[in-house]
Amino acid sequence: MKDKLGIVVGIGIVAAVLTTLYFFVINAGNLELNEILPIGIVLILVGAAAYILWDRIKNVKKGLPAQDERLKITNYKACYYGFIASIWSAVFAPLLSGFFFDYELPGNYVTAIVVLCGGLAFMISYLYLAWKGK
Amino acid sequence: MKTRMKELRARYDLTQEDLAKKIGVRRETILFIEKGKYNPSLKLAHDIAIALKTTIDELFLFEDDER
Repeated sequence: MKDKLGIVVGIGIVAAVLTTLYFFVINAGNLELNEILPIGIVLILVGAAAYILWDRIKNVKKGLPAQDERLKITNYKACYYGFIASIWSAVFAPLLSGFFFDYELPGNYVTAIVVLCGGLAFMISYLYLAWKGK
Repeated sequence: MKTRMKELRARYDLTQEDLAKKIGVRRETILFIEKGKYNPSLKLAHDIAIALKTTIDELFLFEDDER
């Protein structure tokens, strides 16, 4: 029951993110590179989340658990790497932007970078650790 | 860490999926334990040992330098 609820919530979140992106893109007009790049990262994250959901659905259909102790440990490790990436991106994004482009990043850009870097680090490390087995 | 899981599974004619269903884990977890890529918790090791009608110390073999 808990597994199925998690899958339904996950599908709902993926659908909500895709709907939000769709309305953003059709109302944004001409998109610039600094807008296309975050959308690309969000699409990669949604794709990875959809893959994880599909994998869980496949297991539940076979009568196996969606998540077991190995995947819980993998999840904790990936959360840790995502957290570290978020903190360091909050430190380095404004520094590097000032150093290389002489441009002071606005607060909302820094927030977006922190969220996307954390999400990307989480997804990459989760998929890698789940595939590698450690 | 080496394991005799594969040998004992074959003895009881169990696939990785059958064993996974018996102890309530994913098939990949059984695969990674058999390959020595994942060290199970004490509870999971105990469950596997019971499912394969053996004991933990007969199921998992540690090298001297791992002790």
